[in-house]
Order: sequence, then structure tokens, then C-alpha cells
Amino acid sequence: MDLTGLKWLQQQQMVSPEFLQIVGSDGREELRRVESYLGNNIYDTIDGCISRTSSFQMEPEKNNEENRTVALLNKRKPEGKTETRDQKKKKIKAEDETESSMKGKSNMSNTETSSETQKQDYIHVRARRGEATDRHSLAERARREKISKKMKCLQDIVPGCNKVTGKAGMLDEIINYVQSLQQQVEFLSMKLSFLNPELEFHINELSMMPDLRSFPLHQQGSLDYSVISSNQTTSPGAKIESSSSWDIHSQCVYNNLRTDSVSNFFSLK
Amino acid sequence: MERQIINKKKRVFSVEPNKIPPSEVFTRKYTSLLVPALKKLNMNKNSSQVNQLTVKHEVDMALALSAQEFAWSRFLLQKLSSSNNPTTTTSSSSNGIRIQERSGKEGGHEDGEREEKLRELQKLLPGGEEMNVEEMLGEIGNYIKCLELQTIALKSIVQDTT
Repeated sequence: MDLTGLKWLQQQQMVSPEFLQIVGSDGREELRRVESYLGNNIYDTIDGCISRTSSFQMEPEKNNEENRTVALLNKRKPEGKTETRDQKKKKIKAEDETESSMKGKSNMSNTETSSETQKQDYIHVRARRGEATDRHSLAERARREKISKKMKCLQDIVPGCNKVTGKAGMLDEIINYVQSLQQQVEFLSMKLSFLNPELEFHINELSMMPDLRSFPLHQQGSLDYSVISSNQTTSPGAKIESSSSWDIHSQCVYNNLRTDSVSNFFSLK
Repeated sequence: MERQIINKKKRVFSVEPNKIPPSEVFTRKYTSLLVPALKKLNMNKNSSQVNQLTVKHEVDMALALSAQEFAWSRFLLQKLSSSNNPTTTTSSSSNGIRIQERSGKEGGHEDGEREEKLRELQKLLPGGEEMNVEEMLGEIGNYIKCLELQTIALKSIVQDTT
């Protein structure tokens, strides 16, 4: 592609004249760079696709100018242009706005990550062959992919989700699991309410001072160290499957809590 | 007893405090909040029996306060503080952002089923009805984790007192 291509673009009001000037005056190297950049984008814009894919990181010296033109390209969306080209395998990438994705799209070997200067706000969406490429469905697709990504994360958290396939089944599992957890909490709190007088009894056993009203609700003071010391044996990322080790751990927590309350009162004396 | 305390204090200095995984932080916070609250309940209500609702209230409050970095905990706190007042407002179910998907590749009623389930999930999560779908799915993960830790903590407390 050469300058004629660019001029054609200009006629389509996609490129501003000053862009051409920049390209023309700085020689072939600029042109090559722009060409590789535009080569990706011309098809996109012509198709009436969303021009969101055109955000691109250039070299830092030319950053301001070229990003301005990039912005220009992004703004000029050819709404009326539904010139359908017979597409070979042309993919638009569906990604989040991360710096690594910017790097990946670059054809140039010497682009630096000047992403701290500019944060791109565009969402990159991948359209497969034969799918609608208009703006709405692309946004829809991006949204759906985000949701399915989150569902996959949930699959790891909720036990038993691996066997079920399909979103509906998984959602069912998740709902059941949350409900059962909430019921468990309710049941345990009911149990606790029955046992509360005994709790009092245990505390008295430790020969603590009875004036507990001075004990503030958000006290966390002396817990830090003694809890940590009891955690050396348990593995850090313990999930619900290894609930036995967690039981031990939390018991240690509770025991330390009680004795720490005692120590507090001793020090208060 | 005193010697035990002193021994435990001696063990303090052997561990680096920076390596605490967040689940332990949560459990620690939770138990540290709940147990004094329960003690306080006992002290204040010596004559009358400890109500189950108040215990549930304290349990929920401890959960919300120990998970303050998540969005659902804010909603839970709101609910709890509003339920303290006698004028409780019923939760509005129609207020939420509707889950709607435009024509996609899937069939029509498959979408409807999914929408229903997502709506149910929203009801389970505190404040879920005011979030949109993506946000809610992320928050549900956190909520489930915290619920699990809460059940473990409660179990250990109950076990200790029996």
C-alpha cells in the first residue's frame, strides 16, 4: 500500500490531511510503519466494523502525534459503509485493555511500552468468521465472554461444578451451594444461641474479670501474633475440601483468642 | 494458666507477619468480632434469654465487618443497621437492573432460564439486586468464600463450648 491508499482513505474522510502530511514528510520508514498499522485497520473500518481495534502503541517519540491520529481514526466510524468484503481469516482480538495485549498486536520490534503515558479505553473484540460484526453484537459478545470467564472462576470455587456442563446447570449448582451455606450458618447460629450461657460459663472458668463491657467490639489488638504462631503447620490456601485442617486452625484461633483476652486483663491490672 | 500464656507469647517472634493469606485474616477478624459480641450479649441480657435473632444479627454483623473490602458487605451492613430500627423497609425486588440479553446465538427460552437463575442468585447475595451481572458474579465468589470461612469459625466456636 502506498500513498494512494492513504489518499483514498482521506477521501473517505477517515484520515485527516495533517496525517498525510506527517506521513509524507517523514519518509519511507514512517510510511512502512503506518502501513503495517493501517493494513490491519483498513479492512476493519471498511467493513463497517467497530473501529475499536485501531488503538495501538507506537514509538514513544511519535507518540503524541500518532496517537492523535489514531484517535481520529477511531472517531470516524463509517456508519453507512457496509461494503462487505469477502473475508479470509480476519480476526479482531477480544481482550481486555491490558498492556500486554497492546504489545502483542505490535508488528514492530522496537515498540516500547509507553502505556503509562496513555491508557486506552477501547475494548478489543474478536469476531469470528461468519458472525455479525456490527457494533452491538460485538459489545454483546465481549460482555458474554466476560461473564463466561467469571463463571469459570466460580467453577473452581464451588465444589461439584466440574461435572455439570452448561451455564444453566452450573448456575443451579451455585445457587444450591449458596443456599446450603446460608442454611448452615443459620443452623450454627441457632445452636450458638442455645449454647450462649455455656459460653459465659467457659469464660468464667478462665477467671477473667467480669467487666466485659469495657471490651470494645472491634478489638483486634493482641490477636495478631499469637494467631500467626499457630498457623505454621497449616497450609496457606486451604480450601473447603481440607476442612479438617481448617477446623484445627480455627480452633487454634479461638483458643488463642480466649487466652489473649485473659492476658489482656492481666495486663490491665 | 499463666505459664501457658507466657509460653504463647514467647512464640510470637518466630514468624514473619507479612505472609498472612487473606482467608486467615478473615477468620481471625471474624472470631475476634464475634466472640466479644457474644460475651457482651450475655452480659447485657443476663435476665432474659438470649434471643436467636440477636445472635443471628451478631453473626451477620461480624461477617459484614470482617469482609469490608467487598461490595456485598456494605449492603449487608445497610440491611443490618436498617433492621435495627423498628421501621423496616421491605426489600425491593423490582429495583434491580434487569438482566436482558439481546438476540444471541442461543435459543430464546434457554436465555430465559438463565435469566431466572441469575435473578435468583442476585436475591441470595446481599445487594445483588443493585449490581449488574458481571459484577455480581465476581462478588458471589467472594461471598461464597467468606460464607465457608464463617461456617468453619462458627463450628469451631460451637465445638469449643460443648
